[in-house]
Amino acid sequence: MMARKKVKVSGRMLFTWFMLAGFILLFIPDKITSRLQLSFAYIFRFPLRIGYSISLSAPTQDFKRDFVSRNEYSKLHTHLMNVVEDCNEAYQKIEQLAGYRKLKPLEGADFVLANVCDVSDGKLVIDRGQNDGVSLGQFVLCYNSIIGTVSQLSPGTAEIELFTGPSAKMQVQVADEQAILNGTGDDRAEIRFIPKTKTIKTGDSVFASKKPGFLNGTMLLGKVTSCTIDDDNPFFWDIKVEPVCNLKRVTDVAVIVIKK
Amino acid sequence: MRWIKFIVLLVVVTLLQAEFINLIGIKGTAPDLLLILLIFFAVHFDITDAIVASFITGFAFDLIGPSVGPGVISFGLLGTLLARLNKFIAIRKIPYQIAAVFIVGVLTGILIYLLNLFKAQYITLRFFPLVFGRSLYSGLVGPLLFLPFFWLFRLGPHRFARGRF
Repeated sequence: MMARKKVKVSGRMLFTWFMLAGFILLFIPDKITSRLQLSFAYIFRFPLRIGYSISLSAPTQDFKRDFVSRNEYSKLHTHLMNVVEDCNEAYQKIEQLAGYRKLKPLEGADFVLANVCDVSDGKLVIDRGQNDGVSLGQFVLCYNSIIGTVSQLSPGTAEIELFTGPSAKMQVQVADEQAILNGTGDDRAEIRFIPKTKTIKTGDSVFASKKPGFLNGTMLLGKVTSCTIDDDNPFFWDIKVEPVCNLKRVTDVAVIVIKK
Repeated sequence: MRWIKFIVLLVVVTLLQAEFINLIGIKGTAPDLLLILLIFFAVHFDITDAIVASFITGFAFDLIGPSVGPGVISFGLLGTLLARLNKFIAIRKIPYQIAAVFIVGVLTGILIYLLNLFKAQYITLRFFPLVFGRSLYSGLVGPLLFLPFFWLFRLGPHRFARGRF
Protein backbone atom coordinates (compact mmCIF):
# COMPACT_ATOMS: atom_id res chain seq x y z
CA MET A 1 0.00 0.00 0.00
CA MET A 2 1.35 3.29 -0.96
CA ALA A 3 2.26 5.47 1.98
CA ARG A 4 0.26 8.63 2.01
CA LYS A 5 2.40 11.61 1.23
CA LYS A 6 2.26 14.04 4.11
CA VAL A 7 1.64 17.55 2.87
CA LYS A 8 3.61 20.01 4.86
CA VAL A 9 2.51 23.61 4.79
CA SER A 10 4.79 26.28 6.17
CA GLY A 11 3.72 28.44 9.06
CA ARG A 12 3.92 31.54 6.90
CA MET A 13 1.60 30.11 4.28
CA LEU A 14 -0.88 29.05 6.92
CA PHE A 15 -0.75 32.47 8.52
CA THR A 16 -1.31 34.15 5.18
CA TRP A 17 -4.27 31.96 4.28
CA PHE A 18 -5.91 32.42 7.65
CA MET A 19 -5.38 36.19 7.62
CA LEU A 20 -6.90 36.32 4.17
CA ALA A 21 -9.86 34.32 5.42
CA GLY A 22 -10.16 36.69 8.37
CA PHE A 23 -10.23 39.75 6.12
CA ILE A 24 -12.75 38.09 3.82
CA LEU A 25 -14.99 37.47 6.83
CA LEU A 26 -14.45 41.06 7.92
CA PHE A 27 -15.55 42.47 4.59
CA ILE A 28 -18.49 40.16 4.07
CA PRO A 29 -21.70 41.99 5.08
CA ASP A 30 -23.12 41.17 8.48
CA LYS A 31 -26.34 39.89 6.93
CA ILE A 32 -24.37 36.90 5.66
CA THR A 33 -21.90 36.34 8.50
CA SER A 34 -24.61 36.64 11.11
CA ARG A 35 -26.00 33.38 9.75
CA LEU A 36 -22.90 31.66 11.15
CA GLN A 37 -23.64 33.13 14.55
CA LEU A 38 -27.29 32.19 14.33
CA SER A 39 -26.35 28.65 13.29
CA PHE A 40 -24.06 28.32 16.30
CA ALA A 41 -26.80 29.67 18.56
CA TYR A 42 -29.31 27.25 17.03
CA ILE A 43 -27.08 24.18 17.26
CA PHE A 44 -26.16 24.88 20.88
CA ARG A 45 -29.48 26.39 21.91
CA PHE A 46 -30.04 24.02 24.84
CA PRO A 47 -26.84 24.70 26.77
CA LEU A 48 -27.10 28.41 25.88
CA ARG A 49 -30.67 28.53 27.18
CA ILE A 50 -29.59 26.84 30.41
CA GLY A 51 -26.75 29.29 30.81
CA TYR A 52 -29.06 32.23 30.15
CA SER A 53 -31.55 31.01 32.79
CA ILE A 54 -28.78 30.57 35.33
CA SER A 55 -27.38 34.03 34.53
CA LEU A 56 -30.80 35.64 34.97
CA SER A 57 -31.36 34.04 38.32
CA ALA A 58 -27.85 34.76 39.60
CA PRO A 59 -27.30 38.12 41.35
CA THR A 60 -24.61 39.44 39.02
CA GLN A 61 -24.24 42.73 37.22
CA ASP A 62 -25.05 42.67 33.54
CA PHE A 63 -22.09 44.26 31.81
CA LYS A 64 -23.84 43.92 28.47
CA ARG A 65 -25.62 47.15 29.46
CA ASP A 66 -22.32 48.90 28.76
CA PHE A 67 -22.65 48.00 25.11
CA VAL A 68 -25.31 49.35 22.83
CA SER A 69 -26.09 48.70 19.22
CA ARG A 70 -25.50 51.34 16.57
CA ASN A 71 -29.27 51.94 16.31
CA GLU A 72 -29.57 52.53 20.03
CA TYR A 73 -26.54 54.83 19.95
CA SER A 74 -28.10 56.83 17.09
CA LYS A 75 -31.37 57.19 19.02
CA LEU A 76 -29.53 58.32 22.14
CA HIS A 77 -27.39 60.73 20.14
CA THR A 78 -30.48 62.26 18.48
CA HIS A 79 -32.14 62.60 21.86
CA LEU A 80 -29.02 64.30 23.20
CA MET A 81 -29.01 66.79 20.31
CA ASN A 82 -32.68 67.59 20.97
CA VAL A 83 -32.01 68.12 24.66
CA VAL A 84 -29.02 70.36 23.89
CA GLU A 85 -31.20 72.44 21.53
CA ASP A 86 -33.93 72.71 24.20
CA CYS A 87 -31.25 73.79 26.65
CA ASN A 88 -30.01 76.50 24.27
CA GLU A 89 -33.57 77.74 23.76
CA ALA A 90 -34.07 77.83 27.50
CA TYR A 91 -30.87 79.86 27.94
CA GLN A 92 -32.08 82.32 25.32
CA LYS A 93 -35.39 82.65 27.13
CA ILE A 94 -33.58 83.21 30.40
CA GLU A 95 -31.58 86.01 28.80
CA GLN A 96 -34.76 87.47 27.36
CA LEU A 97 -36.45 87.34 30.74
CA ALA A 98 -33.43 88.88 32.42
CA GLY A 99 -33.66 91.74 29.95
CA TYR A 100 -37.32 92.30 30.75
CA ARG A 101 -36.73 92.25 34.47
CA LYS A 102 -34.31 95.17 34.14
CA LEU A 103 -37.18 97.43 33.08
CA LYS A 104 -38.50 99.31 36.10
CA PRO A 105 -42.22 98.98 35.33
CA LEU A 106 -41.72 95.23 35.14
CA GLU A 107 -39.92 94.76 38.42
CA GLY A 108 -41.57 92.02 40.37
CA ALA A 109 -43.59 90.82 37.39
CA ASP A 110 -43.58 87.33 35.97
CA PHE A 111 -43.52 86.57 32.28
CA VAL A 112 -44.98 83.88 30.17
CA LEU A 113 -42.82 83.53 27.08
CA ALA A 114 -44.77 82.43 24.04
CA ASN A 115 -44.29 81.78 20.35
CA VAL A 116 -46.57 83.38 17.81
CA CYS A 117 -48.57 80.77 15.91
CA ASP A 118 -50.64 83.02 13.67
CA VAL A 119 -50.71 86.69 12.68
CA SER A 120 -53.76 88.37 11.18
CA ASP A 121 -54.85 91.97 10.89
CA GLY A 122 -54.77 93.32 14.39
CA LYS A 123 -54.49 89.92 16.12
CA LEU A 124 -51.89 87.37 17.14
CA VAL A 125 -52.36 83.82 18.33
CA ILE A 126 -49.76 82.50 20.78
CA ASP A 127 -48.99 79.00 22.00
CA ARG A 128 -49.62 79.68 25.66
CA GLY A 129 -52.99 79.85 27.37
CA GLN A 130 -54.88 79.48 30.57
CA ASN A 131 -52.89 76.45 31.64
CA ASP A 132 -49.70 78.52 31.46
CA GLY A 133 -50.97 81.32 33.67
CA VAL A 134 -52.25 83.65 30.95
CA SER A 135 -55.38 85.68 31.78
CA LEU A 136 -57.63 88.06 29.93
CA GLY A 137 -56.51 91.67 29.81
CA GLN A 138 -52.82 91.00 30.45
CA PHE A 139 -50.38 93.14 28.54
CA VAL A 140 -48.11 91.62 25.95
CA LEU A 141 -44.52 92.67 25.30
CA CYS A 142 -42.38 92.44 22.25
CA TYR A 143 -38.91 94.00 21.94
CA ASN A 144 -39.48 95.76 25.27
CA SER A 145 -42.60 97.54 24.08
CA ILE A 146 -46.27 96.87 24.65
CA ILE A 147 -48.01 95.55 21.56
CA GLY A 148 -51.41 94.59 22.86
CA THR A 149 -53.47 92.71 25.42
CA VAL A 150 -54.88 89.21 25.80
CA SER A 151 -58.38 89.28 24.35
CA GLN A 152 -59.35 85.62 24.14
CA LEU A 153 -58.23 82.57 26.02
CA SER A 154 -58.23 78.81 25.79
CA PRO A 155 -56.38 76.25 27.89
CA GLY A 156 -53.39 76.04 25.55
CA THR A 157 -53.54 79.17 23.37
CA ALA A 158 -54.47 82.83 23.61
CA GLU A 159 -55.43 85.57 21.19
CA ILE A 160 -53.71 88.92 21.51
CA GLU A 161 -55.47 92.01 20.32
CA LEU A 162 -52.83 94.35 18.99
CA PHE A 163 -53.28 97.99 19.84
CA THR A 164 -53.34 98.64 16.08
CA GLY A 165 -56.33 96.33 15.63
CA PRO A 166 -59.51 97.91 14.20
CA SER A 167 -61.46 97.54 17.43
CA ALA A 168 -58.62 98.02 19.91
CA LYS A 169 -58.73 100.65 22.60
CA MET A 170 -56.06 101.34 25.19
CA GLN A 171 -55.35 104.04 27.73
CA VAL A 172 -52.09 105.74 26.88
CA GLN A 173 -49.95 108.66 27.87
CA VAL A 174 -48.36 111.09 25.48
CA ALA A 175 -46.67 114.32 26.47
CA ASP A 176 -47.85 113.85 30.06
CA GLU A 177 -51.42 113.73 28.85
CA GLN A 178 -53.68 110.72 29.38
CA ALA A 179 -55.69 109.72 26.31
CA ILE A 180 -57.42 106.80 24.61
CA LEU A 181 -55.58 105.11 21.75
CA ASN A 182 -57.82 103.62 19.04
CA GLY A 183 -56.55 101.06 16.61
CA THR A 184 -57.31 101.78 12.96
CA GLY A 185 -56.04 98.57 11.40
CA ASP A 186 -53.20 98.52 8.89
CA ASP A 187 -50.63 98.54 11.73
CA ARG A 188 -51.61 101.99 12.94
CA ALA A 189 -53.51 103.65 15.73
CA GLU A 190 -54.74 107.15 16.48
CA ILE A 191 -55.22 109.35 19.48
CA ARG A 192 -57.92 111.98 19.45
CA PHE A 193 -59.22 114.54 21.86
CA ILE A 194 -55.88 115.82 23.06
CA PRO A 195 -56.22 119.59 23.28
CA LYS A 196 -54.22 121.66 20.85
CA THR A 197 -52.70 123.45 23.79
CA LYS A 198 -50.48 120.45 24.44
CA THR A 199 -47.17 120.42 22.54
CA ILE A 200 -46.94 117.17 20.64
CA LYS A 201 -44.66 116.56 17.71
CA THR A 202 -43.69 113.75 15.35
CA GLY A 203 -41.37 111.27 17.02
CA ASP A 204 -42.77 111.69 20.52
CA SER A 205 -43.10 108.48 22.48
CA VAL A 206 -46.49 107.06 23.36
CA PHE A 207 -46.71 105.02 26.54
CA ALA A 208 -49.23 102.48 27.75
CA SER A 209 -50.65 103.81 31.00
CA LYS A 210 -50.25 102.13 34.33
CA LYS A 211 -53.09 99.73 35.10
CA PRO A 212 -53.20 98.20 38.58
CA GLY A 213 -53.08 94.43 38.43
CA PHE A 214 -51.83 94.46 34.85
CA LEU A 215 -49.06 97.05 34.49
CA ASN A 216 -47.13 98.58 37.34
CA GLY A 217 -45.83 101.55 35.40
CA THR A 218 -45.97 103.23 32.01
CA MET A 219 -44.31 101.34 29.18
CA LEU A 220 -43.40 102.35 25.67
CA LEU A 221 -46.01 101.45 23.09
CA GLY A 222 -45.30 103.44 19.94
CA LYS A 223 -44.16 106.66 18.32
CA VAL A 224 -46.11 109.61 16.97
CA THR A 225 -45.86 109.59 13.20
CA SER A 226 -48.04 112.61 12.54
CA CYS A 227 -49.80 115.26 14.56
CA THR A 228 -52.35 117.38 12.72
CA ILE A 229 -55.43 119.36 13.60
CA ASP A 230 -58.47 117.14 13.84
CA ASP A 231 -60.73 117.76 10.86
CA ASP A 232 -63.85 117.08 12.92
CA ASN A 233 -62.84 119.18 15.88
CA PRO A 234 -60.28 121.96 15.32
CA PHE A 235 -59.54 122.30 19.05
CA PHE A 236 -57.95 118.89 19.24
CA TRP A 237 -55.06 117.06 17.67
CA ASP A 238 -55.39 114.07 15.36
CA ILE A 239 -52.36 112.02 16.27
CA LYS A 240 -51.26 108.98 14.33
CA VAL A 241 -49.22 106.34 16.16
CA GLU A 242 -47.15 103.44 14.89
CA PRO A 243 -45.65 100.59 16.93
CA VAL A 244 -41.93 100.59 17.58
CA CYS A 245 -41.56 97.06 16.20
CA ASN A 246 -42.81 95.45 13.02
CA LEU A 247 -45.87 93.60 14.26
CA LYS A 248 -46.09 91.50 11.10
CA ARG A 249 -42.69 89.94 11.87
CA VAL A 250 -43.24 89.14 15.51
CA THR A 251 -42.27 85.55 16.30
CA ASP A 252 -42.21 85.48 20.08
CA VAL A 253 -43.74 87.59 22.80
CA ALA A 254 -43.92 87.84 26.59
CA VAL A 255 -47.16 88.09 28.51
CA ILE A 256 -46.80 90.19 31.66
CA VAL A 257 -48.21 88.51 34.71
CA ILE A 258 -48.33 90.79 37.72
CA LYS A 259 -47.85 88.91 40.96
CA LYS A 260 -50.71 89.42 43.40
CA MET B 1 -6.57 12.69 17.33
CA ARG B 2 -5.90 15.70 19.44
CA TRP B 3 -7.66 17.94 16.99
CA ILE B 4 -10.93 16.40 18.17
CA LYS B 5 -9.98 17.20 21.76
CA PHE B 6 -9.18 20.73 20.65
CA ILE B 7 -12.55 21.20 18.91
CA VAL B 8 -14.49 19.76 21.84
CA LEU B 9 -12.57 21.93 24.30
CA LEU B 10 -13.10 24.97 22.13
CA VAL B 11 -16.86 24.38 21.89
CA VAL B 12 -17.16 23.90 25.65
CA VAL B 13 -15.11 27.02 26.39
CA THR B 14 -17.11 29.05 23.85
CA LEU B 15 -20.40 28.03 25.46
CA LEU B 16 -19.05 28.84 28.90
CA GLN B 17 -17.87 32.22 27.65
CA ALA B 18 -21.19 32.97 25.96
CA GLU B 19 -23.54 32.48 28.90
CA PHE B 20 -21.88 31.16 32.05
CA ILE B 21 -18.85 33.36 32.59
CA ASN B 22 -20.87 36.27 34.03
CA LEU B 23 -21.48 34.16 37.11
CA ILE B 24 -17.90 34.81 38.19
CA GLY B 25 -17.90 38.40 37.03
CA ILE B 26 -16.80 41.19 39.39
CA LYS B 27 -18.45 44.56 38.81
CA GLY B 28 -19.31 43.68 35.26
CA THR B 29 -15.85 42.30 34.42
CA ALA B 30 -15.37 38.64 33.67
CA PRO B 31 -12.34 36.69 32.43
CA ASP B 32 -12.04 35.80 28.77
CA LEU B 33 -11.70 32.02 28.58
CA LEU B 34 -11.02 32.10 24.86
CA LEU B 35 -8.12 34.47 25.45
CA ILE B 36 -6.70 32.08 28.04
CA LEU B 37 -7.10 29.23 25.56
CA LEU B 38 -5.31 31.27 22.91
CA ILE B 39 -2.33 31.89 25.19
CA PHE B 40 -2.21 28.23 26.19
CA PHE B 41 -1.98 27.03 22.61
CA ALA B 42 0.42 29.76 21.55
CA VAL B 43 2.83 28.97 24.39
CA HIS B 44 2.62 25.18 24.67
CA PHE B 45 2.28 24.01 21.07
CA ASP B 46 4.50 24.33 18.04
CA ILE B 47 4.12 27.24 15.70
CA THR B 48 2.04 25.62 12.98
CA ASP B 49 -0.50 24.22 15.41
CA ALA B 50 -0.48 27.44 17.40
CA ILE B 51 -1.31 29.45 14.27
CA VAL B 52 -4.23 27.20 13.35
CA ALA B 53 -5.52 27.11 16.93
CA SER B 54 -5.25 30.90 17.25
CA PHE B 55 -7.32 31.60 14.19
CA ILE B 56 -9.95 29.01 15.04
CA THR B 57 -10.18 30.36 18.60
CA GLY B 58 -10.65 33.82 17.11
CA PHE B 59 -13.46 32.50 14.96
CA ALA B 60 -15.11 31.02 18.05
CA PHE B 61 -14.77 34.43 19.71
CA ASP B 62 -16.57 36.03 16.77
CA LEU B 63 -19.38 33.48 16.83
CA ILE B 64 -20.47 34.80 20.23
CA GLY B 65 -19.52 38.40 19.51
CA PRO B 66 -21.16 41.25 17.63
CA SER B 67 -19.58 40.52 14.25
CA VAL B 68 -17.48 37.93 12.44
CA GLY B 69 -13.99 38.85 11.33
CA PRO B 70 -12.35 41.04 13.98
CA GLY B 71 -11.74 38.16 16.38
CA VAL B 72 -10.28 35.93 13.68
CA ILE B 73 -7.78 38.61 12.66
CA SER B 74 -6.90 39.79 16.19
CA PHE B 75 -6.58 36.41 17.84
CA GLY B 76 -4.80 34.94 14.81
CA LEU B 77 -2.30 37.77 14.54
CA LEU B 78 -1.48 38.04 18.22
CA GLY B 79 -1.50 34.29 18.78
CA THR B 80 0.98 33.88 15.94
CA LEU B 81 3.19 36.67 17.26
CA LEU B 82 3.17 35.14 20.72
CA ALA B 83 3.99 31.69 19.34
CA ARG B 84 6.96 33.18 17.43
CA LEU B 85 8.07 35.13 20.49
CA ASN B 86 7.87 31.97 22.57
CA LYS B 87 10.53 30.48 20.27
CA PHE B 88 13.02 32.92 21.77
CA ILE B 89 11.58 33.64 25.21
CA ALA B 90 9.98 30.67 26.94
CA ILE B 91 6.99 31.94 28.89
CA ARG B 92 7.06 29.35 31.66
CA LYS B 93 6.94 31.19 34.92
CA ILE B 94 3.54 32.14 36.21
CA PRO B 95 4.19 35.93 36.44
CA TYR B 96 5.27 35.88 32.78
CA GLN B 97 2.16 33.93 31.84
CA ILE B 98 -0.02 36.44 33.70
CA ALA B 99 1.75 39.28 31.90
CA ALA B 100 1.37 37.53 28.54
CA VAL B 101 -2.36 37.03 29.04
CA PHE B 102 -2.80 40.65 30.15
CA ILE B 103 -0.80 42.19 27.32
CA VAL B 104 -2.32 40.00 24.61
CA GLY B 105 -5.77 40.67 26.12
CA VAL B 106 -5.32 44.43 25.92
CA LEU B 107 -3.89 44.31 22.41
CA THR B 108 -6.62 42.00 21.09
CA GLY B 109 -9.22 44.20 22.79
CA ILE B 110 -7.92 47.31 21.07
CA LEU B 111 -7.62 45.61 17.70
CA ILE B 112 -11.10 44.08 17.93
CA TYR B 113 -12.53 47.47 18.93
CA LEU B 114 -10.94 49.19 15.93
CA LEU B 115 -12.01 46.47 13.50
CA ASN B 116 -15.55 46.58 14.90
CA LEU B 117 -15.64 50.34 14.41
CA PHE B 118 -14.73 49.66 10.81
CA LYS B 119 -17.72 47.35 10.60
CA ALA B 120 -19.83 49.93 12.54
CA GLN B 121 -21.20 47.20 14.73
CA TYR B 122 -21.38 48.51 18.24
CA ILE B 123 -20.21 51.27 20.45
CA THR B 124 -18.64 50.43 23.77
CA LEU B 125 -19.53 52.89 26.45
CA ARG B 126 -16.75 51.92 28.86
CA PHE B 127 -14.15 50.50 26.52
CA PHE B 128 -10.91 50.93 28.43
CA PRO B 129 -12.12 49.84 31.89
CA LEU B 130 -13.72 46.76 30.33
CA VAL B 131 -10.71 45.72 28.24
CA PHE B 132 -8.18 46.31 31.01
CA GLY B 133 -10.38 44.73 33.64
CA ARG B 134 -11.10 41.72 31.50
CA SER B 135 -7.42 41.25 30.59
CA LEU B 136 -6.28 41.56 34.19
CA TYR B 137 -8.89 39.12 35.44
CA SER B 138 -7.98 36.69 32.64
CA GLY B 139 -4.31 37.00 33.51
CA LEU B 140 -4.94 36.14 37.15
CA VAL B 141 -7.19 33.21 36.33
CA GLY B 142 -5.30 31.98 33.25
CA PRO B 143 -2.41 30.04 34.80
CA LEU B 144 -4.93 28.18 36.99
CA LEU B 145 -6.88 27.07 33.95
CA PHE B 146 -3.72 25.85 32.21
CA LEU B 147 -3.60 22.89 34.63
CA PRO B 148 -6.73 21.11 33.32
CA PHE B 149 -5.56 21.88 29.77
CA PHE B 150 -2.21 20.22 30.50
CA TRP B 151 -4.05 17.18 31.76
CA LEU B 152 -6.34 17.09 28.72
CA PHE B 153 -3.51 17.24 26.21
CA ARG B 154 -1.17 15.14 28.32
CA LEU B 155 1.45 17.80 28.62
CA GLY B 156 3.72 18.34 31.60
CA PRO B 157 3.51 21.87 32.94
CA HIS B 158 7.25 22.31 32.93
CA ARG B 159 7.99 20.45 29.73
CA PHE B 160 10.18 22.49 27.49
CA ALA B 161 9.31 20.74 24.24
CA ARG B 162 6.08 21.90 22.76
CA GLY B 163 3.13 19.63 22.08
CA ARG B 164 1.66 18.74 18.73
CA PHE B 165 -1.85 17.99 17.64
